[in-house]
Amino acid sequence: MNMEKKSKPKKRSGWIMLAITFIFYIVTAFSDPAIAESAFNKALHTLKMIAPILLLVFFLMALLNTFIKPKKIAQHLGKESGIKGWIAALGGGVLCHGPGYVWFPILNELRSHGVRDGLIVAFFYARAIKLPWLPVMIGYFGGAFTLVLSIYILLGAWLQGLITDKLTAKKRDSL
Amino acid sequence: MTSLPERLKQALVSAFKSLYTIMPMLFAIIGLIGLFQAAVTPQMLYSLFSGSPLQDTVIGTLIGGVSVGQPFLSYIIGGELLKEGVSLYAVSAFILAWVSIGFIQLPMEWAIFGRRFTLVRNLLSFIFALLIACATTVTLSLLL
Repeated sequence: MNMEKKSKPKKRSGWIMLAITFIFYIVTAFSDPAIAESAFNKALHTLKMIAPILLLVFFLMALLNTFIKPKKIAQHLGKESGIKGWIAALGGGVLCHGPGYVWFPILNELRSHGVRDGLIVAFFYARAIKLPWLPVMIGYFGGAFTLVLSIYILLGAWLQGLITDKLTAKKRDSL
Repeated sequence: MTSLPERLKQALVSAFKSLYTIMPMLFAIIGLIGLFQAAVTPQMLYSLFSGSPLQDTVIGTLIGGVSVGQPFLSYIIGGELLKEGVSLYAVSAFILAWVSIGFIQLPMEWAIFGRRFTLVRNLLSFIFALLIACATTVTLSLLL
């Protein structure tokens, strides 16, 4: 059982946030039009950058719901998944690309099919290892720093997953 | 039992509905990220560090947590911070928090995963950014 049953994204909160953001832009446009314009351009750039990943997430969600039965997912990434589950979560986190929020919908979908919260937390933290940017990190901080930090990130991701699972179990026991 | 094309159609509709539901929040977050990137300069970030390693590690985690952008930006800023004399503890915490904590994305995470999951995940990320920064720096000082 997850911390919360699959939480349906609240439609209203999204529109409220969008309205608040819009107000920020209006206020900024009046106080400093150059910043507002630059902010808008940067936001557009971000949108262009994540659009292909969103498309990928869309098709992955559709394929997931078409071909993979919730029972199978729960079996491989649920309560009894063991080391296989950890490897999938940590490996998936390291390999996945793009900002974390783009992956929220599909992770929530997996969660609703029985994936443990601990594995989702581990996946999120393992994303801190950015494979394509490792050469840049090595260039700035050296190979030893990059290697040690990456090992600790994986260890930290696993520990956070374990802690989350314990907290989930406590919540379950108290119900 | 429903046929494969029918299942695929239903799955596509369901995926579209899921993404459509989060679109307003997604646009809001992208808008906020744009505002942050345009309004907050690296110089502003440098000025927030105090010189005390312990305090700077917490400050580094907080600044990394609110900052957004491509990871390489955190390496560039982190490299500059090191040159300015900020400790490796603080710089490690900063670059780690940059990619693992998302204060700006909190409303979206909250709306999708719920309050408890979001709080636990971000709190753990914050604590582990501090712990891993310390562990990395201590390990390197022992190794090198």
